Amino acid sequence: MNTSLNLLAYFIYLPVVIILTWYVAHTLFRNSKAFMLDIFHGKADIALSTNKLFETGFYLLNLGFALLIMEIVADIYNSRSMLEILSYKIGGFSIYLGIMLFFNLYLFFRGRRISRERARLAEALKKIPGNDEIK
Amino acid sequence: MNTLAYIIYLLLTYWITVHVGMIFFRNGRRYILPLLHDDERLTDFINRALLTGYYLLNLGYAAIMIRTWRTISTWQELVASISTMTGRIMLTLAVIHFFNMAMILLISRRHHTANNKNSDI
Repeated sequence: MNTSLNLLAYFIYLPVVIILTWYVAHTLFRNSKAFMLDIFHGKADIALSTNKLFETGFYLLNLGFALLIMEIVADIYNSRSMLEILSYKIGGFSIYLGIMLFFNLYLFFRGRRISRERARLAEALKKIPGNDEIK
Repeated sequence: MNTLAYIIYLLLTYWITVHVGMIFFRNGRRYILPLLHDDERLTDFINRALLTGYYLLNLGYAAIMIRTWRTISTWQELVASISTMTGRIMLTLAVIHFFNMAMILLISRRHHTANNKNSDI
């Protein structure tokens, strides 16, 4: 038998990573709208724009990385080694995706904290008497 | 086999570029508008110019990358090389995208502090 199993491995790998990325991005950015509204003090249009831009960047980065690491250099001739290589690749990609997810969550929490501190500072400045001209 | 790979690759990258470009075009407008003192006509013009520049840069880059393609003889190599090249294009796009967002943030921050100084005087 001359045909190797690489092509089959690619056709298993591609749908799995695409669905995985889609699912993670969908979940993350559906729930991040609340954070964005908080960060931009309820200005809906710029918050949703930022959310959409981050989502696009997330897709580009992760799908690009997934496609870049897809190639299997060695020829595969039995299904056992195909499964092993595939599970190594997909597992590594999921760990990478998880790290990206938590990094994004960290960014959202950080942004919300900074914007809250800034709002509190502005409130405190307003309360000082004779300080009205500085907003 | 290489010709087939180029056709699929170009279709894929052109589709991605145009799709992503339209998303940036629609959502980026709200960032440029306050920077140009709410001048709608200037904003639309600059946004369109930016979109054209973005298309030119990306499509040109995607076309140039074809030169580095190795010779393909099997289906397996076809799928592998298309995905590697497309992945590289997408990663480059992502890097440019985040760089642009950082630039917009920097510019708007400078703009904001400059405005506040003016209002203080």
